[in-house]
Amino acid sequence: MKLELGFTQINDIQFSKECKVDNGTLYVDPEAVKAFMYEDDDVKAWVKDFTFDVAKPGESVRITPVKDVIEPRVKVEGPGGVFPGVISKVDTVGSGKTHVLRGMAVVTAGKIVGFQEGIIDMSGPGADYTPFSKLNNFVVVAEPADGYQDNKHEYEHAVRIAGLRAATFIGELARDLTPDETQVFETYGIKEGIEKFPDLPRVAYVHMLQSQGLLHDTYVYGVDAKRTLTTILNPTETMDGAIISGNCVSACDKNTTYHHENNPVVKSLFEAHGKTLNYVCNIITNENVYLADKQRSSDWTAKLCRLLDLDGVIVSQEGFGNPDTDLIMNTKKIELQGVKTTIITDEYAGQDGKSQSLADADPLADAVVTGGNANEVIVLPKMDKVIGMLDYVDVIAGGHAGSLRPDGTIEAELQVITGATNEMGFNRLSAR
Amino acid sequence: MATMGNERDFLILTNNPLVPACMEGKGKYTIRFCPEKSYREILVMARDMVYAGHTLYTHPLSGSVKPNETPYKSVIVSVEPHGFDSDQGEIMANAIAVFDKFTPIGWNLNERILADFQLIDYTLLAGAINFDAAAGISNQSTRRE
Repeated sequence: MKLELGFTQINDIQFSKECKVDNGTLYVDPEAVKAFMYEDDDVKAWVKDFTFDVAKPGESVRITPVKDVIEPRVKVEGPGGVFPGVISKVDTVGSGKTHVLRGMAVVTAGKIVGFQEGIIDMSGPGADYTPFSKLNNFVVVAEPADGYQDNKHEYEHAVRIAGLRAATFIGELARDLTPDETQVFETYGIKEGIEKFPDLPRVAYVHMLQSQGLLHDTYVYGVDAKRTLTTILNPTETMDGAIISGNCVSACDKNTTYHHENNPVVKSLFEAHGKTLNYVCNIITNENVYLADKQRSSDWTAKLCRLLDLDGVIVSQEGFGNPDTDLIMNTKKIELQGVKTTIITDEYAGQDGKSQSLADADPLADAVVTGGNANEVIVLPKMDKVIGMLDYVDVIAGGHAGSLRPDGTIEAELQVITGATNEMGFNRLSAR
Repeated sequence: MATMGNERDFLILTNNPLVPACMEGKGKYTIRFCPEKSYREILVMARDMVYAGHTLYTHPLSGSVKPNETPYKSVIVSVEPHGFDSDQGEIMANAIAVFDKFTPIGWNLNERILADFQLIDYTLLAGAINFDAAAGISNQSTRRE
């Protein structure tokens, strides 16, 4: 399967009556975006209103609580459309041509539950810990309709869909652009790949998806990953939004939709593809709460690794605690099939970094890349402007009573910062 | 005797009032509601039962909400002992070790936030055993304010 991505760099976002991309600037009418979001009945039912803002790199701006981050894309050639099974029809994506607005994102923010986390600082020390401080962010703040307290499932769904619709609206503006840069990604059928690269090791990416329940979900072609069996994706499918985030908890190590679209493991494996390895496919598997599900899913992961005659896999997880068990079950069983593993995770090693990092371990999991210690304490200075609301900072993960100080500074653990210790390795923290 | 994996064999250990409110009498499982027990005490109770040969059905660290943030925990073990499983014993022991490494926060949670923590714990539990969480909330016996 072959996909061409055409990138147009966005260096600025301006509100305007006319919607277009011109000379690196996105001009967008928030009222038009709002109207497009409200075409969805669930959004209409559960979101009372939206407010819009723009946050640019270097500004004294704090966005919180962040729900999702999405990169606008549009399918210009080939089957299907972006976010298949959710926004577009369910056709298989990942081939043809897709245009990307790079350097920007749609950020959805607003309260869903009372302890919700997720901070993006656009400047200061906090900005160094989140990749999204480097983007021009079109921020959509949702205000819930009355009665949402007893209907959190519906409200989370509505905000998730609203964000994807905003990104789709903006992505559509890239349809007729001539990209600044194009890149081509291609993987092959099993036999074809072996014939093409007979001497290269066969490597796949075992991509674990958060799937525990409300505020902890991921969707694949619109299907709740909790209800899926371990299966195979072409890596390019993820670039067209085949996987989207419904995960609102654990800001530092949740995989936003932006992470799925720009998965760094996929990117790195493609860079090595045909040179030092043969990138075979992605294997997606879930992280359920029910132990028999964990056993089934990890058995199937190992079974597929063997069936595909792989030599090695990279395994990434999402979240904390429960997923550590899936991570170790997957790794152990894959190794026992004679397939080498390297895992990517983050750590909860205590504020002093001295505690055991994961909730589970095994001697076979002997190649580990860390995304950093989520318990590390950081002080975030006051920002001139807050987009969203600060009243939850005291109770968001990693914050603690009094963490929002009277002078506006925040003392908290890295857990609160969106993407700080990402377990796909989409950031700069690590250890040697 | 309840067969392993059958809903009749599910014993839900919980300190979360939303669990009995939404799930009591709606299935073949048994609920042991222990409002006086802490998150850690629920883990210890589950661990001791697993050590005594009961099967662990759900992961004790379900949810990315950290153990020092939420006071609520629900774990499902078997009604009947089916024999000790060392992997499950290790999962329980590790869960308590993880709980103990988190720095106590000691914040004052208001009713609304407590209700949200109850909701998360309940929906993760419901999802694990295919119980319709939304329907359970609509039909709950003692509705929240």
